[in-house]
Amino acid sequence: MATSTESLPPPGWDREGLDGLLNAFPEGRLSEIVGPRSSGGGSLLLALLARAASRGGLVALVDGADAFNPETAARAGLDLSALLWVRCGGRLQPAWSAADLLARCPGFAAVALDLGTTWGTGPAAAPPSFGVRLQRAAAGNAAVVVVRAPRHLTGSAAALVISVRRVRARWIGAPRRTRLGGLVSEARVLRSRFDPRLAEPGRAWLIEWRA
Amino acid sequence: MAGVTRIACLFVPDADPRGQPALLEIALRHSPSVEDGGPGIVYLDLGGLERLWGGEHEIAARLQRAARESGAAARVGIAGSRAAARFAARAGGDVAITIVPPGRDASWLGPAPLALLGLGPEMAARLDRWGVRTLGELADLPSRGLAERLGGEGLRLQRLARGEDAPPLRLWTPPPLFEESADCPWGVEALEPLGDLLAGLAEMLCARLRRHELSADAFEWTCRLAGRAVHEGACAPAAPLADPAAAAALLRASLAARPPAAAVEAVTLRARPVRVGNVQPRLDEPPRPSPRLLTAALARLSALVEASGIGSSVLLDSHRPDAHQMTPFVLVSRDAVIPSSSPALAMRRIRPPLSADVVLHAGAPARVRAAGLAGRIVAGAGPWRVSGEWWTEAPFVQDEWDVELDDGTLCRLARDARGWRLDAVYD
Repeated sequence: MATSTESLPPPGWDREGLDGLLNAFPEGRLSEIVGPRSSGGGSLLLALLARAASRGGLVALVDGADAFNPETAARAGLDLSALLWVRCGGRLQPAWSAADLLARCPGFAAVALDLGTTWGTGPAAAPPSFGVRLQRAAAGNAAVVVVRAPRHLTGSAAALVISVRRVRARWIGAPRRTRLGGLVSEARVLRSRFDPRLAEPGRAWLIEWRA
Repeated sequence: MAGVTRIACLFVPDADPRGQPALLEIALRHSPSVEDGGPGIVYLDLGGLERLWGGEHEIAARLQRAARESGAAARVGIAGSRAAARFAARAGGDVAITIVPPGRDASWLGPAPLALLGLGPEMAARLDRWGVRTLGELADLPSRGLAERLGGEGLRLQRLARGEDAPPLRLWTPPPLFEESADCPWGVEALEPLGDLLAGLAEMLCARLRRHELSADAFEWTCRLAGRAVHEGACAPAAPLADPAAAAALLRASLAARPPAAAVEAVTLRARPVRVGNVQPRLDEPPRPSPRLLTAALARLSALVEASGIGSSVLLDSHRPDAHQMTPFVLVSRDAVIPSSSPALAMRRIRPPLSADVVLHAGAPARVRAAGLAGRIVAGAGPWRVSGEWWTEAPFVQDEWDVELDDGTLCRLARDARGWRLDAVYD
């Protein structure tokens, strides 16, 4: 599929592409992807899991909102047999414990905790010092441990915090739209303990997610 | 018949290989010397069995009756060698029992067609060109000339045609039963002591498994409850194991997920043994969780969430929305692949879909309101009809719209006979 000129980033943006952003996720540290629904945060999480699995590793997803869609995950290149999917049925309480447990199990390439966007009980139910505890669990292993939440909730524990916002939706068909073509979103690194240059003001990644 | 070898062949035409263990068990109930001859074929040494079961015809009838009771239409052939007994069983036609008198193997086999040897098409065509059509004609050929033309395979076939079957039976022994039981007539009511009891049984089973250099890929437990009711459960580790601590953690979680309704008076634990080869990981292979730690982690996870919600998903061959199936997570080695170059837009499924109020304008959705979401629709595409499985009792048909709300939310609406639903949100 050809990329339209409209979808190309403006000069100075997306210097390293999506790979550059995914490389920023540190192993053995806690990371966080923050953004409201339809911001592209879920797609970024999926890309991270797909890349970790494509290297032959095993990945785990604690699905707090029971919203993971295997079909789009397979389309994103995620080998479903390499994914341990833990469905929490919309209950967040067991999701905290499950993420902590898996982050302590050595051998996974990535462990993700998806807290959904606004459905369910909401991330307001996060236990106190949850971020610190998850960071300690992650510290002993080589896995990328990442939390996807609508708002920042790990405090100062996360070594990397990425904020994602929606830029525009892309529709196919003119003059009458026939289908959704994708979503353009902008990612900014709010904090990076390992490479502070990533969090420089004005630095952003413009990513087009194809539907 | 002292000193004369007599072999019985239990033969089931077109046998299902899965039925072979049952066939072997039947044979083993009648003779201690049993050989597995491949799917549908079992050999028994009849030496010394007359005093126990009677004459050869009685033994054959017993074997045939036992096979019939297990659902297999078996034939029985008895002769002085495996080959002759097998030919007798196969050539019996409508006769279910064929007995070749002692010392008459060669003469009995003589007129039998070559097809009994199960020859490949090339070999059959070659022997046919030579005019060899019966086992007797093949047996009479000079061995040296046959070896020069057909090599070792020709000599092997000739030995079979002569009923020469010198090697002794390769004895089949049933796989060891990995089962341990404990009685507790006083009745165990709490889960913790019952878990301790199962952990003790698991330790004994794992010790036996390790002695046989085996691991277990499944455990089954059965509790006999007060009042003679039976309570059962099963669990499977992510990878075969023989580690008592991991097995105990798995069993405790399985027990917690299915607690017995009354006091337990006896408990039995069975393990399904498998042989696991030791494979050294490659240097370029990414690290993987150890089976022991992963099994323990999965066991603890199943105490937190529904066990059916833990595993890997497999996409089903269906157009039905959200068609997938959960399967147990297993540790297998994977090679690195080239990652997808096109980032895909993730869809978050809403399970179950939320009922939605949709206002239409010119036939298209203009406003939507559902739990946690409401707004004016500023862009959209649809409807796309999704339907299928009309030939089943649960057909599906729905129209789908992808819409963008004024707050930027991208979501999928669906309409079917029950009304509008919010199916998914893009993220």
